[in-house]
Amino acid sequence: MLRVAGLTRRFGEQLALDDVTFDVVPGRMTGFVGANGAGKTTTMRIILGVLAANAGEVRWHGELLTQKTRREFGYMPEERGLYPKMKIRDQLVFFGRLHGLSVGKATERTDKLLSRLGLAERATDVLETLSLGNQQRVQIAVALIHEPIALVLDEPFSGLDPLAVDAMVDLLREEVTPEVPVLFSSHQLDLVERLCDDLVVLSRGKVVAAGPVAELAASQTPTYRLVVDGDAGWLRDLPGLHVRDVAGGTALFDAEDEASAQQILQQAISRGPVLEFGPERVALSDVFREATR
Amino acid sequence: MNDQTLDRPWMLIAEREISTKLRDKTFIGSTLVMLVIVMAAVILPAILAGGNDSDKIAVIDDGGAAVVQRASETQGGEAYEPLRVADQAAAEQAVTNTDATAALLPGPDGYVVVGKDKVDSGVGGALRAAVASVGMEKNAAAVKLTPEQLRAGTQVTEKILEPGPLPGFVADFVNIGLALVFYMTALGFGMMIAQSVVQEKESRVVEILAASVPIRSLLWGKVLGNTVLALTQILVIAIASLIGLTATDQLDILSVVAPVAGWFVVFFVLGFVALAGLWAVAGSLATRQEDLGSTTLPGQMILMIPFFFAVFAGPEAREIASFVPIASSMSMPGRMLTEDVPLWQPLAAIGILLVATVLIIRLGARLYERTLLKTGRRLGYREALALEAG
Repeated sequence: MLRVAGLTRRFGEQLALDDVTFDVVPGRMTGFVGANGAGKTTTMRIILGVLAANAGEVRWHGELLTQKTRREFGYMPEERGLYPKMKIRDQLVFFGRLHGLSVGKATERTDKLLSRLGLAERATDVLETLSLGNQQRVQIAVALIHEPIALVLDEPFSGLDPLAVDAMVDLLREEVTPEVPVLFSSHQLDLVERLCDDLVVLSRGKVVAAGPVAELAASQTPTYRLVVDGDAGWLRDLPGLHVRDVAGGTALFDAEDEASAQQILQQAISRGPVLEFGPERVALSDVFREATR
Repeated sequence: MNDQTLDRPWMLIAEREISTKLRDKTFIGSTLVMLVIVMAAVILPAILAGGNDSDKIAVIDDGGAAVVQRASETQGGEAYEPLRVADQAAAEQAVTNTDATAALLPGPDGYVVVGKDKVDSGVGGALRAAVASVGMEKNAAAVKLTPEQLRAGTQVTEKILEPGPLPGFVADFVNIGLALVFYMTALGFGMMIAQSVVQEKESRVVEILAASVPIRSLLWGKVLGNTVLALTQILVIAIASLIGLTATDQLDILSVVAPVAGWFVVFFVLGFVALAGLWAVAGSLATRQEDLGSTTLPGQMILMIPFFFAVFAGPEAREIASFVPIASSMSMPGRMLTEDVPLWQPLAAIGILLVATVLIIRLGARLYERTLLKTGRRLGYREALALEAG
């Protein structure tokens, strides 16, 4: 398990990370979300050792993360970058060896990943002649080349079209074995919702929510949707009810529990025909909005 | 995971540095140009000197021809060549229309040397000595003396009390040449090191590199790779010069140069490594290629000032310079070739250089670690020194 504990980092006067603590559990994808400047990249760079923390530590299976262990991590930085003028096959072999693979093993992995990504024919092309999408594929291949024991991906899907995202996700699912913890940050909440098992929400350098996505969603006050034949404006007059939205006959409101929701429904029925009633699925964006409010 | 580079990532970095350069057309091209220049410098003078036609001296009889032959022999080779003509008029004609440099004609008591507007002093002197020598041998034969008896007790040889290993102008040439080799190599490779660092920053690949291996390993790898490349380049040039020297029969120069070659390598490697550390820092202070102009300025100064010192300074100043780190790499090997330098001097200079190299590399590594991942804007040296780790 990868544990981040009490990370604090200052840039001059500004406090970028404030006592950031969370776990990344093996075999689960942990989504790392937060507004721009919340400190996601800073956290990831500290995990990878390219930035020092003012306080706090990163632990791997209970022990302080060492340079040697870190070398077996896979990393996709926010600012993509490889050697533009190096052939992609040479490049992947080089990074494989840099992560500690033998020449033979690195070559084997390179050829496997290149053909998996459909880039086998471009193996001897230099990186900069590839399209940006293909360059991004090579970048993810670099992160995966050494069969990493943990993956840290900073905005891995940004700039990719939906098909490319699917291909990338398939690759990740294939390559990432159950004992590998994966942390990835993203702005695309729908994507995070689709892919992630766990979620860490960061706001202004602080962790404001963390845990399994399902639990986080369940902990929200449930929202109900009511559609009546007529005007639903009367809901606003009910004391103690938090109404999210009313538009004509359609209303969204929060209910303390199932029972109080049913009471509202009865009131509605007594006022006229009810066309629709039910709990509204909690979107991750609501969790996020709630947590960062 | 049992690869030997596992615990020595700098070897891998060095390897990449070397293989990239060896595929770089600009690098190969500039090495070839350098080779051509060196070959030309070695071979051309020999060809020019050898291709010089011998001076023709017009003669009208066997006696004259024998004198010219003798003059040529004393000069050691084919300096003069007799040009046989029919009579005095033809000989004077040959001199006038410059078919011959001079004419040697029988005179009232010996010979007359005829020139066009003047008699070249070299030619005149050589002919005069040859006439005397041939004539006296003939006179000696008349009184039954062998040439050896004739010359007994008249030989003058020279003895130099403080001989320099090489004659004056050759010494200057060698001093400048050796300083130039170091200067050019250190500057050329220095710029390449700085560029390769800034390229890694520009392309952001440095983020992945730094996440995989310690930043110091990146520095060592670069320094090692480029030192190997630089030494190889010098070796190739040295071999080319050897071939050139062999081809033009100048191998005797080698006996003078060879003993100093080992010293040169030691001074070269230490000086080069110290500078390489600085050049890498120059690269890591920059964020774009354009920044290199200003960040490499101190490196260029550290090279240029000692270079001009090594080339233009007087002997005393040069002696001092040959102990100053970096400057010593350019001055000491040259001094050892051209002067008699007591053994303690190069040893002391190497000691000083070694200490300086260790200090510079340490400082360089510190600056490199602190600035390599700063991609926001170009940093100054003072600013970098004040930076905290991380």
